[in-house]
Amino acid sequence: MSTRHIAIAIGVAVVMAVLAVVLGRYGAYLVNAVAIAAIGALSLNLLIGYCGQISFAQGALLGVGAYTAGNLGNAGLDGAVAILGAGVLGALVSALIGLPAMRLRGLYFAIATLAAQAILEYLFKILDPLTNGVSGLVIKPPSIFGIPMTSDESLVLPSLVLLVIAWLVVSRLLRTDLGRAFLVVRESEIVAKGMGIDVGHTKLWAFLIGGFIAGMAGALIGFANRLASPEAFTLDLSADYIAMIIIGGLGTWPGPIIGAAFVVLLPEVIQRVGEAAGISDILSALRELAFGLLIILFLIFEPRGLTALLSRIKLRRIGVVPPAGLRATGEGSQSPEGRSR
Amino acid sequence: MALTASDVTIHFGGVVAVNGMALDVMPGEIVGLIGPNGAGKTTFINCLSGTYRPNTGTALWQGDELIGLSPSALLRKGVARTFQNVASLHDLTVLDIAKLGAGVRRDRRTGGHLLDFFRSDRALEELLMESILAPLELNDVAHKPIQTLSYGRRKAVDLARALAGDPQLLLLDEPVAGLTSHEGMAMAAAVRDVRDRHGCAVIMVEHKMDVVMSTCDRVAVMAAGSKIFEGRPAEVQADPEVRRVYLGEP
Ligand SMILES: Nc1ncnc2c1ncn2[C@@H]1O[C@H](COP(=O)(O)OP(=O)(O)OP(=O)(O)O)[C@@H](O)[C@H]1O
Ligand SMILES: [Mg+2]
Repeated sequence: MSTRHIAIAIGVAVVMAVLAVVLGRYGAYLVNAVAIAAIGALSLNLLIGYCGQISFAQGALLGVGAYTAGNLGNAGLDGAVAILGAGVLGALVSALIGLPAMRLRGLYFAIATLAAQAILEYLFKILDPLTNGVSGLVIKPPSIFGIPMTSDESLVLPSLVLLVIAWLVVSRLLRTDLGRAFLVVRESEIVAKGMGIDVGHTKLWAFLIGGFIAGMAGALIGFANRLASPEAFTLDLSADYIAMIIIGGLGTWPGPIIGAAFVVLLPEVIQRVGEAAGISDILSALRELAFGLLIILFLIFEPRGLTALLSRIKLRRIGVVPPAGLRATGEGSQSPEGRSR
Repeated sequence: MALTASDVTIHFGGVVAVNGMALDVMPGEIVGLIGPNGAGKTTFINCLSGTYRPNTGTALWQGDELIGLSPSALLRKGVARTFQNVASLHDLTVLDIAKLGAGVRRDRRTGGHLLDFFRSDRALEELLMESILAPLELNDVAHKPIQTLSYGRRKAVDLARALAGDPQLLLLDEPVAGLTSHEGMAMAAAVRDVRDRHGCAVIMVEHKMDVVMSTCDRVAVMAAGSKIFEGRPAEVQADPEVRRVYLGEP
């Protein structure tokens, strides 16, 4: 984490805050949605982009966060405590999801996470006292540090603060031995082992930290929607997050934020255009298709996503050849071919 | 006695890759391990470094048994190795790799590495630059991603990683193979220098005979998984059996 990173992260948050204020309610809703998605994407990028552990269970993990924060908040705890609690449970559940990774690698592990996603979805439906079954848990507007969060506008601040913290924590983490071990494990577990890295341990920490961040993102989703229901945290949501990190750029620093903005805002843009042209039905059906296509195109042509695309444009403008370092990420890039539906 | 390996045997299915191999190495000594392709040299190194677990055999190092320990446990005991083929690790710089090499000496099982989060590694960086990277002429590329380096430089990075863990027993698998002769000489000089400064015991698998002759104090010859000869470099070159199986004479 350099001073440059700190400046950029805070700058992005300030711009988003200004947009939320200037653009009114709808703008605040969008900024909030992007910020929360970006936190979730940071968590998944840590796991997939940096540590090479493909997970399809991100949707359910966010659900764990939402239900946990919802229950804690409804029980009268402060929103900040509820968010931390969601982080802790998210970390624990994530570690459980990661257990098969101690034995399985690559796509075999990815399939195990599909099972985890299915099991968690099922639990959301049947753990009635905690989840209120298929109808979903209604979440009362929380107070964070005593300040009531009654609207999207009020949630923007906590979301942006958490975004900046999560973003900087992840980038600092990558400058530690643990973070460097993530990168080696991603490239090759055999090499990592030979270098004396405890591979199982390294993966476990990736799941714990990623899960903690995902749990907190889930808490914010719950507070923003005021509802946690099984159909909000399905495989579709996992696929959205995979789309974010691939489109933004796997294993890149700004990728999760760029990808989250893209995936959250594109449907809104399409919606507006569709409404204006009177063809919104057709266009909204195209949304899933568009993301699927984009994932495939990016994986083939630019595995480092929009981040690489943007930096290439910038470098060309100032007359520098793109570095050889912009490339596919070993195991991490063998990601899903499109969205599983 | 520093390292005493004896009766090391490992088979993969029907293939006996290493067969009753024995080797002793003293501190401060560089022992060359030569032999034709497929003789079992890498496999023997793999047995000593925790990558493989041999079917039989012992390897006592300062009184402790090495066989059965994981690579990370071995690194904590000061046993480090380099690889015959270096991996290109994307996104990691030369300095990152050296730091990883230095970090494996610390025990991470307790989660203490989370403290790294709050620790500056500026001091470690300076130490590594000065004592590890500079002698290997890697100073100027310290902040470059390693996949941008030539094969020869990457092998030097792999050696730097091993050295950063401050090893007392160094297992080198063909450190000079694939290097230009200039790079090869520099690498061999670096190995001798490390031995002189740290007094570590070194086993060096190598095909390049000029390097073996000029670097090693003793040479062991392997063929078909077993040691067929051991002696001073000059003796090895003079031995008719070695000349026949390895140096390719009738
Ligand atoms: N994991 C393995 N599974 C099956 N066979 C193996 C395995 N590792 C090594 N072998 C076999 O063991 C024998 C010795 O191989 P090894 O790589 O140790 O030779 P080497 O002396 O290092 O040769 P080179 O000089 O070519 O590096 C070979 O016949 C090889 O095919
Ligand atoms: Mg070999």
